[in-house]
Amino acid sequence: MSINHLSEVEFGVELPTFQPDTSLANVKKFAIAAGWNSPRFTDHEAARKEGLPGALIPGIMSQGFLSAMIHNWAPGAEIRLVDTIFRAPCVVDERYHINGVVTDIDEESGEVEIDLTVTNDAQETRVFGTAKVMIAN
Amino acid sequence: MILDLHAHSIKSDDGRAKVQNYCQWIRAKEIAIDGFVLTEHRQFDNESDYSPLAAKHGLTILKGAEVETQYGHVLVFGVNDALQAAFDFTNINLRLEQVIEACHANGAVAVPCHPGRKRVGMAAHLEEFGIPKGVTIVEVYNGGSRGEEDQVAQHMADEQGYLGIGGSDAHIVSHIGRCATEFSGDIRSELELVEALQGRDFKALKIKQED
Repeated sequence: MSINHLSEVEFGVELPTFQPDTSLANVKKFAIAAGWNSPRFTDHEAARKEGLPGALIPGIMSQGFLSAMIHNWAPGAEIRLVDTIFRAPCVVDERYHINGVVTDIDEESGEVEIDLTVTNDAQETRVFGTAKVMIAN
Repeated sequence: MILDLHAHSIKSDDGRAKVQNYCQWIRAKEIAIDGFVLTEHRQFDNESDYSPLAAKHGLTILKGAEVETQYGHVLVFGVNDALQAAFDFTNINLRLEQVIEACHANGAVAVPCHPGRKRVGMAAHLEEFGIPKGVTIVEVYNGGSRGEEDQVAQHMADEQGYLGIGGSDAHIVSHIGRCATEFSGDIRSELELVEALQGRDFKALKIKQED
């Protein structure tokens, strides 16, 4: 269900889960567009030689996925902040699940706070954080 | 009584949760805990008084700290002025033995947390530094554990005869209460928490979160 007005937002409501496209082809497109065309993001073998578990999804791409999830839920929301803590790397070609849940609503200002988590299939949290978004009344 | 013994608020550098929202979340989602302990990183929060919030929501809200030693991170319960004078909570290179001795001398309890975690957990340092003296309790269930970390912690606890506690290690609102510790009696203060831990009558829990 899409959210268009603040009155539709409830404390504790879960945003629809978002499964990002973490394929090497998609990450390569992002890395080139962002000017981050480093082998650590685009080449599993080269990344492993650097001691990494594989090519990594760039942090700003993960933040982009989080923003996409928010806009899937509330297309008109103005994202003021996406604040992330990276606990463990997210590896290209692995499956991740992005979840969000409303944890604070300021009825006066229209600001909604959302807990964000990126988990893998083992339900381990790889990235967590919060977003502050403005939703019109 | 069930308490989440390991949580962080916005007072911690990587904490993103407001305490009032933890309370709201616990009640809205009917999380099966009776309260929590705020264990802020490298500090004790001397300023905040959460008693009105605790009363409003019918929860126990206590304060502790999470400090850093050569064996990794350590929760400290029962922090008082004397303990804060005994060592520098902001020092990231504390000696675990010093922390434990200071806790013993000042009516507090030290509990190595997420001991199965690489780098910041106690088990990773046993080969280099040996078995530390004075540890009696470790955190065996941590809500932020990945892979085999909790199993490593439990295995170490079993081998060394340590008791185990549980804590969510929540940094965001929705993670509160993922793990906790069940005590046989009521706990309403830091002093009562220390007595309960010293009484050794508790068990670690993992708590399933309902949607």
